[in-house]
Amino acid sequence: MKQIMMGNEAIALGLIHANVDMISGYPGTPSSEIIGNFQKFSKQFGCDTYAQWATNEKVGFEVAYAGAMTGKRTCTTLKQVGLNVASDALMSASYIGHLGAMLLVSADDPGFHSSQTEQDSRSFAKFAKIPVFDPSTPQEAYDMVKIALDLSQKFQTPVMLRPVMRVSHAREICEVDESVDFKPNNGEFIRDIGRWAAVPPRGRFAQGVEQLKRIDEIAKHNWENFIKPKADKLKGSKTLCLTSGTGDGYVREAIEDMDIKADVLKLDIPYPLPKKEIERLFDNYENVIVFEETYPCIEEQLSSPKLHGKLTGDVHKIDEFSKDKVVKAFSNIGLTETNKSYQNEKYGGEVPVRPPNLCPGCPHRDVYYSIMKVFRKKKSIYPSDIGCYTLGLNQGAIDTVLCMGASIGMASGFSIADKSKTVIASIGDSTFTHSGVAPLINAVYQKHKFILFIMDNSVTAMTGRQATPERVNPGVVNLKNIVEGCGATCMEHIYTPDLDESINFMKEVKKKFETTEGPLVAIVREFCVLDKERAPQMLPGIYAEVDPDKCVACDICTTQYKCPPMHYNDEHKIEIDPFLCIGCDACIDDLCPTDAFIERKPK
Amino acid sequence: MKYQIVIAGIGGQGAVFLVKVLSIAAGLKDQKCLGTENHGMSQRGGSVSCYVKIGNFYSPAIDEGQADLLIALEGNEGLRNIQYLKKDGGTIVVNADDSFPNLEYKTIKIDAFAKATKGDLPIQALNVYMLGVALAKDPHFPFNVKEIEEAIRVMNAKVADKNIAVLHSAIEDSRSV
Repeated sequence: MKQIMMGNEAIALGLIHANVDMISGYPGTPSSEIIGNFQKFSKQFGCDTYAQWATNEKVGFEVAYAGAMTGKRTCTTLKQVGLNVASDALMSASYIGHLGAMLLVSADDPGFHSSQTEQDSRSFAKFAKIPVFDPSTPQEAYDMVKIALDLSQKFQTPVMLRPVMRVSHAREICEVDESVDFKPNNGEFIRDIGRWAAVPPRGRFAQGVEQLKRIDEIAKHNWENFIKPKADKLKGSKTLCLTSGTGDGYVREAIEDMDIKADVLKLDIPYPLPKKEIERLFDNYENVIVFEETYPCIEEQLSSPKLHGKLTGDVHKIDEFSKDKVVKAFSNIGLTETNKSYQNEKYGGEVPVRPPNLCPGCPHRDVYYSIMKVFRKKKSIYPSDIGCYTLGLNQGAIDTVLCMGASIGMASGFSIADKSKTVIASIGDSTFTHSGVAPLINAVYQKHKFILFIMDNSVTAMTGRQATPERVNPGVVNLKNIVEGCGATCMEHIYTPDLDESINFMKEVKKKFETTEGPLVAIVREFCVLDKERAPQMLPGIYAEVDPDKCVACDICTTQYKCPPMHYNDEHKIEIDPFLCIGCDACIDDLCPTDAFIERKPK
Repeated sequence: MKYQIVIAGIGGQGAVFLVKVLSIAAGLKDQKCLGTENHGMSQRGGSVSCYVKIGNFYSPAIDEGQADLLIALEGNEGLRNIQYLKKDGGTIVVNADDSFPNLEYKTIKIDAFAKATKGDLPIQALNVYMLGVALAKDPHFPFNVKEIEEAIRVMNAKVADKNIAVLHSAIEDSRSV
């Protein structure tokens, strides 16, 4: 059956067809749509499954891993930086293994489209000694899910699927199974303390020896089942391209477009590789080039004077792949004329940059604006975190961004290291439950003096508005209870689109902070303007326009507030783009010193 | 047949919707199709560029100098992505007013914002409107009106009638472009 699917949708359907009935993960672009689609397919086909967002990637991994221990077929999904969070669990799980099957989907983001690092999850798989599949298209991602879970079951090890953004967010007409015959394994925990709770040094040493043996066996399996059948069909050109994942597509198109003669051997499992068998293939070639995204994962496993890649400086080392980079590598090695290129002239004139910005009407903007009004820049440090609110950068309200949850640990560090300034940290609700609690307890017990704003929009907004713990179970999970349970003083403010109210709250926080020992937490109950359930009740639908006679072009709105509809027109007066204004009315009354923002009159 | 389309716009303008419609249209015709779209940061009012490749391709991304058609939902985003067009034969269909510069490429310019300001076009349907203009004005466009109409119905039957009406108004307006 043919079906048009996005990569993440294809992965989700593959999981259903592979009889996976437990999936747990944390959202992160470009992995976020897998769990949502899995929930959709479960409902559509009437499959009884567990599919939930975990509070963070480590928790998600552990839930799925325990399932696999009992014999179930399970999956966890995360993005490459989320794998860092889950890595502690992964490293040990790779030693211990399981009775069922477990697929770890770690989606990479070459080119930093929406990530703070470009790390390669395949290299992480190599580090953890688990096999990894690298799909090049949604179709392959669908097919590989099933093969990877069978491999996981056969060798009793977690297996990774590593789609990059151009697979997860690609769309393709895929050939998928017609019917759903969903038969998940039963879960039954079988006590095996020597295995499940192996104690160092001897228990774990023995598992380490087994792990090495297992990965060698998988390398052999890789050769017999995946590489050899393709190697037998190579045509016998003078150049061999070893490819992996999306690198394969770029190479195939480029050699076709540019009429370059080369054999292409795609490695579906870039780790573990059968070193000797692959290197024996090199005898038939003058040059071998490795095209992979983004680290030299394959290249590091092989050695030959004929081998070219990132380590030899012939292939690019950072940023997303392109066909032009393939052609450049051929020319670097001297295999094509240097004039072959895809490059084309950019527009010669000036095109204004359009950086990401908080949505029109986003409460985060008002909160940051008010913080900046009350806590002056010269005397403050603003550590922040990962989420939509990182875009408070545009308002100058953020000084540091490191990783999930770091705002709080770093606030501690700054409060110790630079006592001349007030530390004002900001974090979202989802990020707080992800990894904010442990550093808050740390700050409470050591009495670190800083202010923490939890900007609670009750949704994981940046990644597509997944539900948060508090949202799913209101009253049961309560941020204020969590904060107070940690021992911190907690204030609470319910946001309204009235700048004066937000500023007044900041003044109260400032006053309270003077007499607070240790961290002061202020929860601002906000909403997301893209939240179809809550936003319509919260937005008053009062749209703004500008009275040009009152606008004195003072720049306050365009430099301190920065709402996307606000811009200068040809007469150098501020204008509101009527297509962008969302009708929050926050700018009317309190923002403009000359009261130029007024309610838009119906025409 | 091989045909490559770049869709450029601002987050929220519905570039991804067009990727979906075009890939559905390809599927209905049993043509191979690979597309790719941006999510995450770029949804927040930033620049968005999406690719659709119809025919026998292996990679969803489009390199510079390769696209047959650039649909620009906003003028500056069109200029920002102009290098993706084929040097000979590439066409840009752009939502822009008279200030849009003259380019070496075949340029089809229509001021959809002006039409929306007058109340003649719902701004949410700007994407479908520009698709209609491309369909009417690019002789190599790989789908006909019926095929796009069907794809819009498959995509979202509830709002299909409204979108199809916008598609036809675009085709009508294109006569005078």
